Amino acid sequence: MITTPEHTSPAAVAEASERRVIIRSVGMKKIYQRGAETTHALRGVDVEIYTGEFISVMGPSGSGKSTFFNMIGALDSPSEGRVFIDEVDVAQLTAEELAFLRCRKIGYIFQSYNLIQYMTALENVTTPMAFGGVTPDESRKRGMELLDLVGLKTRWFHRPIEMSGGQQQRVAIARALANNPSILLCDEPTANLDHKTGDEILTILQKLNQERGVTIICATHDHRMMNMCDRLMWIRDGAIERIARRDEVEVQLASIE
Amino acid sequence: MKTIDVQPQPLLGFARTLRIALSGVKYRLFRALVTVAVISVAMAFLMNILAESLIKMTVAATAKDQIAEMRLVDRWIARLSIPPTTAEIIASAARAGEPAEIENLRTLGRLDDAELTRLRELASAADTYLTFFSELNYGRRRVLVGSAESTAIFDRLQDATARETFFSRLAEMKTVRFVTETEAFDTLLNEWPVLRAYTERIREGQATAIRTVQDNLNGRTLMQSLRAAEGPFGQVIRDAGFNLSPAEAEHLSAKVGAVADTALIETAMNQADIRQAIAARLDILPGDVTPSRLWSLLSDRDNAAWYIGVMNEQGFAASGWQPDDVIALADSRARAQLLKQAERATMETGGGLMGIGQRMTWLAFVSMLVCAVGIANAMLMSVTERFREIATLKCLGALDGFIMTVFLIEASILGLVGGIAGTLMGLVIALLRMLGLFKSLLLESIPLGALVTASLLSIVIGVLLAAVSAVYPSLRAARLAPMEAMRIE
Repeated sequence: MITTPEHTSPAAVAEASERRVIIRSVGMKKIYQRGAETTHALRGVDVEIYTGEFISVMGPSGSGKSTFFNMIGALDSPSEGRVFIDEVDVAQLTAEELAFLRCRKIGYIFQSYNLIQYMTALENVTTPMAFGGVTPDESRKRGMELLDLVGLKTRWFHRPIEMSGGQQQRVAIARALANNPSILLCDEPTANLDHKTGDEILTILQKLNQERGVTIICATHDHRMMNMCDRLMWIRDGAIERIARRDEVEVQLASIE
Repeated sequence: MKTIDVQPQPLLGFARTLRIALSGVKYRLFRALVTVAVISVAMAFLMNILAESLIKMTVAATAKDQIAEMRLVDRWIARLSIPPTTAEIIASAARAGEPAEIENLRTLGRLDDAELTRLRELASAADTYLTFFSELNYGRRRVLVGSAESTAIFDRLQDATARETFFSRLAEMKTVRFVTETEAFDTLLNEWPVLRAYTERIREGQATAIRTVQDNLNGRTLMQSLRAAEGPFGQVIRDAGFNLSPAEAEHLSAKVGAVADTALIETAMNQADIRQAIAARLDILPGDVTPSRLWSLLSDRDNAAWYIGVMNEQGFAASGWQPDDVIALADSRARAQLLKQAERATMETGGGLMGIGQRMTWLAFVSMLVCAVGIANAMLMSVTERFREIATLKCLGALDGFIMTVFLIEASILGLVGGIAGTLMGLVIALLRMLGLFKSLLLESIPLGALVTASLLSIVIGVLLAAVSAVYPSLRAARLAPMEAMRIE
């Protein structure tokens, strides 16, 4: 984990030569065939995402952003082209291997939290650990640590219905971290939250990125996100419109102003 | 290309899987209850059918012997009054269960061992054909054998042309399946004169015996004479050629006594003064005095004593009677009524699984089918409602098999609860209904073991039904794409 001051600069992070590529897509296309109608959701996307990067993905609805997310999150396979997650070709994996990958390598954070309603906060956090083969005692211990990390240690026994949106999202983050994934995939994590709670969530994400070196890929419309990410990516009509480092964008914004 | 270093996913403990399934049930308690209700209604129906038919079968078996005994007097009266028809002799020779009945045929027909064996052989063959012809519908029988019925068919087919016509017409009737090879029937027809001769001998023998008995009545009725069946009159019957064992004779005379006493009490009831007295005691109109009202009155000791007094006053010969005798008569009459009712109610039992009969099997099958569709629908709804939860679990690394197991367990739990509730419900309803129908007879012949087996069977069917119906919904759940979790309503 690189926490030395010179590496915390986003530009330096992106360009650091020792950085590995953790997600790579090559000519990624997705075509949906519904009856006679053919939809090109993605029209060939090439992108490389490095470990420890915080990247924001922007794009209007229908731009292919969700499809892109599904592809790089190993939830769907491309019609053409390839996706490598940690240098593994996702298309070659069996169902068990995919489950393994989703369980250990990637943490998912959803816009509507997606907590299991009938489980307590702690049970929600420990469920992926059960799939990962962690013993119940160990799961409880780690689950409490993770809840502590998101500041909900005292509310471990609450069910989602008894918690606010912000608290639910924090439980969801703890759950996503259950098996120490190297990638965190966030789908509009602050969209359903008010400004203040949104800030809390963003702070947690930033902290995870900087202190734990977790790669964070975040679909968002939230402009606060721009202030903390390393790179920004715009998707439009199933293709990458632009990828830019934050400092470049800031320069642009400044020049416009 | 780098391969992924996959470790096999540990199987989640059954306890944990069960807990997830149970939480699913608890979380959607109302819908689960509706599903349980559907299953329990179907299971109650099945269990009710099973329990009722089992009870009826046992009651029928219990009642059968007692009814045969009850009809002992009728049988002997008939035997001693009218010679049997040829068909009756054939049926009795073919189906005789008791050795005494066979012995009767032997003595009446004066048959030796070889002849008796031959008679029974031919009779059982003939009986098969007689059953076939009696079950054949009228139109077809008319075409095959004209207006002949019963043994007259065999007589008619003795004629060569008639027989030829019969066989050719039978061959033309594609839809009729003859009971045996036609050759076998042809053989029997050739043998028919022999069988007929035997039956004639038995008939003649019985007619003679009947005449002998009737000549020895000495001016009394047969019924009155039979009261002395254990004494001299029994010997008369035996001398005439009937087979009457001393034990049966004793039984017979007791029965005849009871029948005569019962008749006397009912005759007395019809006498105007007695009728008035009974009406006054019952506080009803004399016209409303019926045998069943009288008998229920007489099952009480004081009333019985009172009635004996009334009968003596009015000149009915009841002087030696004790109230207990009358109570015993009332009891046996009530029992006879019960047995008759049981016989009527159990007439249609038998056949199919546990004696529920074809029609009921079919109904039960259809109800199971409807129930299965209901469960499948409820489980599909459950899957649709929980698609986000399922997809999320898959995002967290759940395998298809795990999701499937959760849903199958959920359905099985519903099946178990519904099965138990339904089985109990069906059993209680069956017991209550049968208690109403058979009353005390039920308590004597409750098939406890069979009912327990049926209950277990019905619960197991409930669980299996739920599990099997849930296979497709579970499969749908297991195949749900994890990316559904990203979808926002």
